[in-house]
Amino acid sequence: MADTTASVPVVRVAFPGALRQKVGNKAIVMAVGHTVREVIDDLEQAYPGMRFHLCFETGELRTFVNIFLNAENIRYLQGLDTPLVHGATLHIFPSVAGGSL
Amino acid sequence: MAQHLIYPSGTVVLLVGTKKGLFLLSSKDREKWEIQATTLKNSRIFFAALDQRQGMRLFAADNGDFFGTFLRYSDDFGETWQEPRQGIQFAEDSGLKLTNIWVIEPGRSTEPGTIYAGVDPASLWVSHDDGETWQINEALATHPTRTQWNPGAGGLCLHTIVADPTNPDRMWIGISAVGCMRTDDNGKSWVFANKNTRASFLPDIYPEFGQCIHRFVQHPTQPDVLYQQNHCGIYKTTNAGNDWTDIQGNLPSEFGFPIALDPHNPDTVFTIVEEPMGRFNTGDQFKVYRSQEGGNTWELLTNGLPEGQGVKLGVLRHGMCTDTVDPCGVYVGTNTGQLFASRDRGDSWNLIADFLPSIYSVTATVLS
Repeated sequence: MADTTASVPVVRVAFPGALRQKVGNKAIVMAVGHTVREVIDDLEQAYPGMRFHLCFETGELRTFVNIFLNAENIRYLQGLDTPLVHGATLHIFPSVAGGSL
Repeated sequence: MAQHLIYPSGTVVLLVGTKKGLFLLSSKDREKWEIQATTLKNSRIFFAALDQRQGMRLFAADNGDFFGTFLRYSDDFGETWQEPRQGIQFAEDSGLKLTNIWVIEPGRSTEPGTIYAGVDPASLWVSHDDGETWQINEALATHPTRTQWNPGAGGLCLHTIVADPTNPDRMWIGISAVGCMRTDDNGKSWVFANKNTRASFLPDIYPEFGQCIHRFVQHPTQPDVLYQQNHCGIYKTTNAGNDWTDIQGNLPSEFGFPIALDPHNPDTVFTIVEEPMGRFNTGDQFKVYRSQEGGNTWELLTNGLPEGQGVKLGVLRHGMCTDTVDPCGVYVGTNTGQLFASRDRGDSWNLIADFLPSIYSVTATVLS
């Protein structure tokens, strides 16, 4: 049987200051997943509760959370279904919300 | 339980939830107040409560704009905060997402460890382990009329919870804009309790539900008596909400948010009414109203409160409370960041904090 686990991309995830306490005060953690959604699932396994910080209960990304794949906002790619390759970097940022907050 | 801050017994502690964090004020004599910012700094803190039934646990509704909304707790007066093991989160298949936590109420003295929370979208959550895990009240979540519920301007929010201390099966909740609901079987079913309260913005101004109830409180010694402040009037019930009586009397407006009682003279009711469009004080005088007869006849309380053409202060539904000292203290927080306090049942007032962010809630606890 082929070892499929070796083919799952390993990516770097960069966390903003507001969430670093949840990941052991690290700025970067490693996670695995074929898509951004799978990476979030992996993060949830390692850091229970992380999904709720990033996504609503209904599954979509929170309104003022942005995730960039390298330099591109996934909202303009395939969203949470954006595919990933080994060695990619995901950056999580609070979005610029302007004067309304 | 870590407790870096030590307060002597009898200290009055005010928890002030604001648009940008939670503040704590303390006083031994209600004359000199010390203010400190807790470490909940940047979130919208809609409500905070101090539970003394089993220690000293502080709960806060931390409505974050970026990374989620959480009901947090602190055992050291706000220096450090914990998240529940299983917090308030809707089920994935519910189609609902938590918008804001509006109110947190420690349960009855006979049910230590039980805490209630009200949220938007309107639902009641209960914890039986001091806030570590939370469950939704299914009967309310699946109420047969739910698809007909419409939100108020602040959302479809469950903002008031009164657990009857004399009856473990009875509780009232307030939802904007659905109205008052009551359970008589410990949450297994809910009925509407809105009779004779107006919804002037609907074709039928006395509907079974759809009222924009703003806040209500229970008489401390007559459990069937409640007072409510509503978008369209101020009311009293003497039969647990089966029907209500208009007690607006000489108040200049039917619109207002907060309401509170003097716990030692519970026919004394405090309220603040506003210009309905501007949502600030009527006229140029910021004022609190007091009735010592359970409504209808209201006196103006203005001694020490500001007046002038530039005075336009609003008070939100959780922005006023009383303490349990005799004579009772009354506390009013404005949406422009002023905190006023009276230590003589409203006869006179002092500004005890200013320049705060917009105040959402004030709760007062006398430390035992």
